[in-house]
Amino acid sequence: MTAVQTPPKETVRPRRKQPNPNLPWIKRLIACLAGGFVLALMIGSQEGTTSDYGYAFRKAVFGPRIVIFLGIGVVLFLAITFWPKIQPYLIRPGFWPLLSGALAVVAAQGLMHWDDLVGDARFQTVATAVSSTSGIAPLASAFFAWLAWTQLIVLVVAGSASIIFRLRWLGFATAALSVAAGVIAYIAHKDVIDYSGAADHSLGYAITLLGYLVMAAALLVAALTTAEVAQSRVFVGRVLGFRPGLPLVILGLVFTVLSFASATWFSPSNKNATLTDTHDLLNGTGLAPIALDYLGWLGWVLLAVSVIVTGAGVWLCHRMLSWVGCGVGVIATILTLVTLYDVSKIGAQYKFDGATGPWQNLGSGGWMAAGGLFLIGAGGFIAASVGSGIYSRQMKGAPGEVAASSDTKAATSFLSAPGAGRSALMIGIAVALFYPPTANGFWQQVLVTEIGVAMLLAAGLNVVVGWAGLLDLGFIAFYALGSYTTAYLVGSLPKKPPSWLHMTPLLAIPFAIGVCLVAGLVLGAPTLRLRGDYLAIVTLGFGEIIHLLAVNNPAGLTNGSEGVNTDVVQHTHSVPNPSIHIGPLHIRWGLAQLQYWYLLLVFLVVIVLLFRRLEQSRLGRAWAAVREDEVAAQATGINTTKVKLMAFAIGASTSGVAGVFFASQVGSFTPDNFVLNNSILIVAYVVFGGMGSLSGALAGAAMLTWLPEFLKSVVPQSDRLMWIGAILLLMMIFRPAGLIPARRRKAELTHFGDASSSETRAVPAGEGMGA
Amino acid sequence: MTQFFDYLILGLTRGSMYALIALGYTLVYGVLQLINFAHSEVFMSGAFGSYIVVHLIVGTGKGTASWAVPFVILIGMLTGAVTAAVIAWILERVAYRPLRRRGAPKLAFLISAIGASFFLSTFASKIFNSQTSDQFPAFFGNGVVFHIDGAKVRSLQLVLILGAVVMMIALDRLVNVTKLGRSIRAVSEDAPTAALMGIDIDKTISRTFVIGGLLGGVAGFLFGLNFSFGYNMGFVPGVKAFAAAVLGGIGNIRGAMLGGLLLGVVENLCLLIPGFTANYTDIVAFVVLVLVLMFRPTGLLGERVGRAA
Repeated sequence: MTAVQTPPKETVRPRRKQPNPNLPWIKRLIACLAGGFVLALMIGSQEGTTSDYGYAFRKAVFGPRIVIFLGIGVVLFLAITFWPKIQPYLIRPGFWPLLSGALAVVAAQGLMHWDDLVGDARFQTVATAVSSTSGIAPLASAFFAWLAWTQLIVLVVAGSASIIFRLRWLGFATAALSVAAGVIAYIAHKDVIDYSGAADHSLGYAITLLGYLVMAAALLVAALTTAEVAQSRVFVGRVLGFRPGLPLVILGLVFTVLSFASATWFSPSNKNATLTDTHDLLNGTGLAPIALDYLGWLGWVLLAVSVIVTGAGVWLCHRMLSWVGCGVGVIATILTLVTLYDVSKIGAQYKFDGATGPWQNLGSGGWMAAGGLFLIGAGGFIAASVGSGIYSRQMKGAPGEVAASSDTKAATSFLSAPGAGRSALMIGIAVALFYPPTANGFWQQVLVTEIGVAMLLAAGLNVVVGWAGLLDLGFIAFYALGSYTTAYLVGSLPKKPPSWLHMTPLLAIPFAIGVCLVAGLVLGAPTLRLRGDYLAIVTLGFGEIIHLLAVNNPAGLTNGSEGVNTDVVQHTHSVPNPSIHIGPLHIRWGLAQLQYWYLLLVFLVVIVLLFRRLEQSRLGRAWAAVREDEVAAQATGINTTKVKLMAFAIGASTSGVAGVFFASQVGSFTPDNFVLNNSILIVAYVVFGGMGSLSGALAGAAMLTWLPEFLKSVVPQSDRLMWIGAILLLMMIFRPAGLIPARRRKAELTHFGDASSSETRAVPAGEGMGA
Repeated sequence: MTQFFDYLILGLTRGSMYALIALGYTLVYGVLQLINFAHSEVFMSGAFGSYIVVHLIVGTGKGTASWAVPFVILIGMLTGAVTAAVIAWILERVAYRPLRRRGAPKLAFLISAIGASFFLSTFASKIFNSQTSDQFPAFFGNGVVFHIDGAKVRSLQLVLILGAVVMMIALDRLVNVTKLGRSIRAVSEDAPTAALMGIDIDKTISRTFVIGGLLGGVAGFLFGLNFSFGYNMGFVPGVKAFAAAVLGGIGNIRGAMLGGLLLGVVENLCLLIPGFTANYTDIVAFVVLVLVLMFRPTGLLGERVGRAA
């Protein structure tokens, strides 16, 4: 099809007349209804018999529930159509906080656990159990029977009314009622727990209480303020920026006091010993004096000293005091851990019923205290390290002026307040270190096998997709290569390595990195010269090839679809658990998930530190240049192919490391662990979190792996990909920069309207179909 | 030799399917310079749409009068085409147009298309029970029509090849002769200038998606009839069709046809190589793809694309 042949005759039709002005209205309604319809099909599990294709469809569509979803469509339509009229009310102060508080309550009462014992322990289950039990306090039974939802609805309606109609008295009244509602929830839950007499780790009541308190605060603010428009971001920014580190100190104080006062510290069977109980229990059992002192009085003293010193340092913006406070916090944390170790060890030696050994049978209290003290120390650290520049400026003006100076709407991130980013990081570290031991076995497993590994992979893919802008849809192939390399090197496959190469899993890391680097180069070299979308499809193909090879067992290398597991006939065994033996250091990982979590944490920290350096390096800047405009990058002397190859290889080797970890952690695996869908899931994590932002990628991976497990009983496993696909789509339409946008990428995405390079435009000039 | 012709015919049938799907990729690529990742799901939805209608008409197909068969096949192709076209139209409206309005970078388009593809295939598996069999019921007899050197040529294979050829000729005429075809060519040549000439770009792009959907839907019905059917039927043919489009020179319509046929034939003739089992056929397309990209990135008939951009 070379020359364009003009048809001989062309009747010139008049242009169609202007579209009917009413049409968009109809279109929008139809679109909204269609959206509701699709939602109806998406929600709920409607599995039918295998011979009936249409069962699920009929069940979803022909029934009363369709009305609800079409109603959602209509509401959406009304909201969009009348948005200009609604919007002024929505941005009134206190409205969004009110809604988010209500949402927290809904989530707590709809999804979260309220008990340890009853069935799945959701609110509804507990409510059913309560209604069939006599002898529970009337308040509790009323709460679980009808009050819980009624009070929520009443409060939301009354609160909204007070905000919309500016009824100050109603605002105060609802605020008070909100607090009361939260307290009712708390009391009702406590009644039920007292009645059942069992230990309790549920969080539903706490989130409910928190939600109501947020609502109350929102209503108070709304009633007191005179502002017409809410400036939540500025407000939060001002609070956070008031004294860097102060929020952490307060948070730490709350946590530690809670843990000292009421949480369980030591729980052999049938005992839930608090701090003082543990002291009495272990007094005279040979517990080290320092631990005994800690349980008795030292803990409180440490808390008081660290809070006073750090608090003073933070408040006075005194650097030396802050450092001292930080040191005290760290020492207190270490002492807490020592005490915990000793308590569990001595408890086991003393033969408490069910006490099994070091680090076992510990309640959440000790870990909470450790986390709290750590946070106090972290507050001191932040106050000391945020920088004298801010202090001196801040001390001249009123406190909080720095945050307030970024008053414009451009300062969209809370993280722009001084020290806020580091505070978030510190909270993240505290959670990563001290939360997992208190989680139950299921969540520990999810944490290691899904969340942790996904974070590792997302960090690697972020280099390729986020920084270099290359869409790699076969990322999981490198993960597979890493896993199989490990399996080969430890002799788990039918084909054994030569004896001098036989090794333990952790030693396989360099080899896995090497294999993945080579594979990345081999794949990348021919394709990276090409356009980005070619690369996407070639990597997709590569992923499929690796999967097919793993299944088809070429030369007996991969053991086919059996995968790696213990099989006497095939002379295979599962990959042994990792261990380290260096000089006097002997660490052996066993079956407990928790140990792997800390190993994973080491990997993550190393990778994050390396990548952070990388992003700012010459290479990182070259990546950004290539991503933004390859031609311009080339013109400035960047060897684009080499730079892209580097990104590809670095991403691949990260994936390989994750593969080593995976192989040695699970022991046995099959090719099905490496299907294409997993590759795309990782892309989804990175995109959801924010392309090109490392923290975004990690947060995205954590969110999107945690959420499906959290919603496990509501969203069937088989629907996950559907929701992920929808999230990807919506994310690209409404928030292309992701959850935590990268600074550079954000600039790119918000200002591309005026750019005209071929990368930023969908239809570049001068490239044709060649028809 | 019999074996050779067997594989050749099989290759031609598969290849004509690839060609039909590849046309969808190539058309959209022409106007948008983007790979429509969700095209494989458009193809899949065509199969489902036609299945429902054909199932309503003939049930499992037992005892369909022979005079009715051509009509039912025609209806199947038609409904498949319509369903897929509707899905393609919606796809363009939802996953492409909002991003285009904003002038989003290419990566965003790819990702939204991947999201749509994921969504559509899992959605289909949810509303059409995913555990059902992986082929249409045998609606129609599949008798041997004639032999070529001992190799059997079955009626469905003939229907497949003929259907594909007719569609391709129709498309070729459409693009080369009609006004719509001219506007499509104009947009792919130079969109801004085309807009200056009074062509409604949005409308043209939308219609291009619809045309690609029509072709994909027909392919979906025929593919379900002859090969496999299910919510995940789109992926492998989709990727192979993409490889075919690249082989022929992406953006080039006749190239896509040629590439599709060629890929199908090569893939099946590879089975003649001793030691090459059917397990590895899926790899052939990818190897071909990589080889083409390495040595002739413009494809067989393409000229302009393939440069770094």
